[in-house]
Amino acid sequence: MSDDAKLWSKTISDVNEEVLVNLETPHPAYYIALGGAVFALLIGILFVCLHFTFGLGLWNFRPPVYWAVDITNFVFWVGIGHAGTLISAILFLFRAKWRNSVNRSAEAMTIFAVISAAVFPLIHMGRPWHGAIWALPLPNTNNLWINFRSPLVWDVFAISTYFTTSLLFWYMGLVPDLASIRDRVTGFKRLVYGFMSFGWRGTAKQWWHYEAGYGFLAALATPLVLSVHSVVSWDFAMSIQPGWHTTIFPPYFVAGAILSGCAMVYNLLVPVRYMFKLEKFILPEHLESCLRLTLLTSTIVFYAYSLEFFVAWYSGNPYEWALFAKRATGPYAFYFWVMMACNCWFPLAFWSKKVRENIVLSYVICFAVNIGMWFERYNIIVSSLVEDFIPARWGHFEPGLWEVVITVGSFGLFMTFYLVFCKFFPIVSLSEIKLIMPKPMSPKSLKAGGDHHHG
Amino acid sequence: MAKPSADQGIIGIYSYLDTFCHAIEKVRDRKDFIGYESFSPTSYHEIEHSSGFGPSPVRYFTLTGALTGVCVGFGLAILCDWDWPIVVGGKTPGIYSLPAYVVLGFECMILLGVIGTILGMLVMGRIPNPKRAVLDVRTTDDRFAIFLPGAQVDSPQAQFLRECGAEEVRST
Repeated sequence: MSDDAKLWSKTISDVNEEVLVNLETPHPAYYIALGGAVFALLIGILFVCLHFTFGLGLWNFRPPVYWAVDITNFVFWVGIGHAGTLISAILFLFRAKWRNSVNRSAEAMTIFAVISAAVFPLIHMGRPWHGAIWALPLPNTNNLWINFRSPLVWDVFAISTYFTTSLLFWYMGLVPDLASIRDRVTGFKRLVYGFMSFGWRGTAKQWWHYEAGYGFLAALATPLVLSVHSVVSWDFAMSIQPGWHTTIFPPYFVAGAILSGCAMVYNLLVPVRYMFKLEKFILPEHLESCLRLTLLTSTIVFYAYSLEFFVAWYSGNPYEWALFAKRATGPYAFYFWVMMACNCWFPLAFWSKKVRENIVLSYVICFAVNIGMWFERYNIIVSSLVEDFIPARWGHFEPGLWEVVITVGSFGLFMTFYLVFCKFFPIVSLSEIKLIMPKPMSPKSLKAGGDHHHG
Repeated sequence: MAKPSADQGIIGIYSYLDTFCHAIEKVRDRKDFIGYESFSPTSYHEIEHSSGFGPSPVRYFTLTGALTGVCVGFGLAILCDWDWPIVVGGKTPGIYSLPAYVVLGFECMILLGVIGTILGMLVMGRIPNPKRAVLDVRTTDDRFAIFLPGAQVDSPQAQFLRECGAEEVRST
């Protein structure tokens, strides 16, 4: 018996039946979670309505800090999305089997995280129905084109490409599963799922082109995921602001993004696995692999934080060093040490197998990592911005009520989308999980000890 | 007389991957299985090998999309610079700003490469195609199948499918 067979208590014949039936009857906790998410979303919508009515003055702006919590949320949510692409694309190319049970959930997380991120630059424009057009490569009223040398324009291109690519990658992965649902339901539902699955029939030729295309999508998404957060980091690194003007930012941001994303995947998978009774398909081994990835990226982030401090001192630039020393000991020390503890120290517990196998403890650590990663972005943005080039303007910034409200609202938006998705679409990829389960071989072949046809 | 539908014929259902792959290999050697189709619930590479498929032409769609994207990304930035030069920090726009435009060229390459790949998957997979029906709903669950258009359930081809291990052969 192969290792795969020992791992699984289910066969491919159980996949469609059990995953799809459980979608129809989730645990009551699902509805409580959905209610909470919708409530948070409504709070966010209320703020956005007030914001459009009364203007940007509602935000707690303290010049020179004009973008603090909104851009923190933007970077946080874009970062969350990264683990989705990492799991779906990079781990696909590395043939990591465990990704097949969690990739759908991670990809959905990417899409909804990028939507949550996109909200912030849009509402920050004050009147987005006028403002959004500035980001597009269109001439303005003076026939002047946008500046293609600006990192903000690069960011628009990067995020738009990232969203489109993630959406298409995710949807193409869904097509065979939508066909599986179509073949189980009747009437109007069958029509809807049939339309959404493009009439997928599952012929060998379709699978052949599908697999080739899926590989190319993964190959294209891999450099994209590494580039997008690099471009986001250039929003900061291309400036001359002390604390931002650092060449380490691109790899540091990418590692941080993947760290927060992996922790979020864990935070989402554990309750969803319970609500939809997917314990037989999302195995403890798969959850543990996710934690190993969290540990790996946490150590990279730890290294980046340390190197950043070292270079600030070693460069001999007094402004740079003063800012970093102040981050650790000044008025923002609380944010800094929470960031260090949550992102660097707590995840070290994942070296222990006992901790990795303890779902409750791992869940708490992953939750802490997400808090830490939010604080990291806040720390980078605010502590640098608050002391710009005119000392008379120096001051202190703390988030106000509305900053907290819109942050809660963005979580509501994300969770509402995610939970609704879980209810109507298979959160475990039906066709891909079958690939990592024992192959349906004839008794004659199994008796002969052959687990594989043609080797 | 009405033209027979492309979905009319016989279908043989298989439960096991190895039996199914052997059946495909044998069917490929026969002259009386013109236009046959095989179905599977997921993309086992064994089926690809048994069917004798080589590299998929989807790669040409990807390449075309990606090359177009590079040209669009660089072209957009360079032509806009040409139309109205924005001199920043004394740097001449246009060809001298190429390093800054690498980001745009790269992102557009990925974007159009992805769109090209998706088009390739749809065009080569012949989807969407509302004219073709689902022949057996079990093929999107856990069964494999071979379909032969135009054949009858009492034909030698049906008998051959049974000999190859089909657990059920029926007309569609």
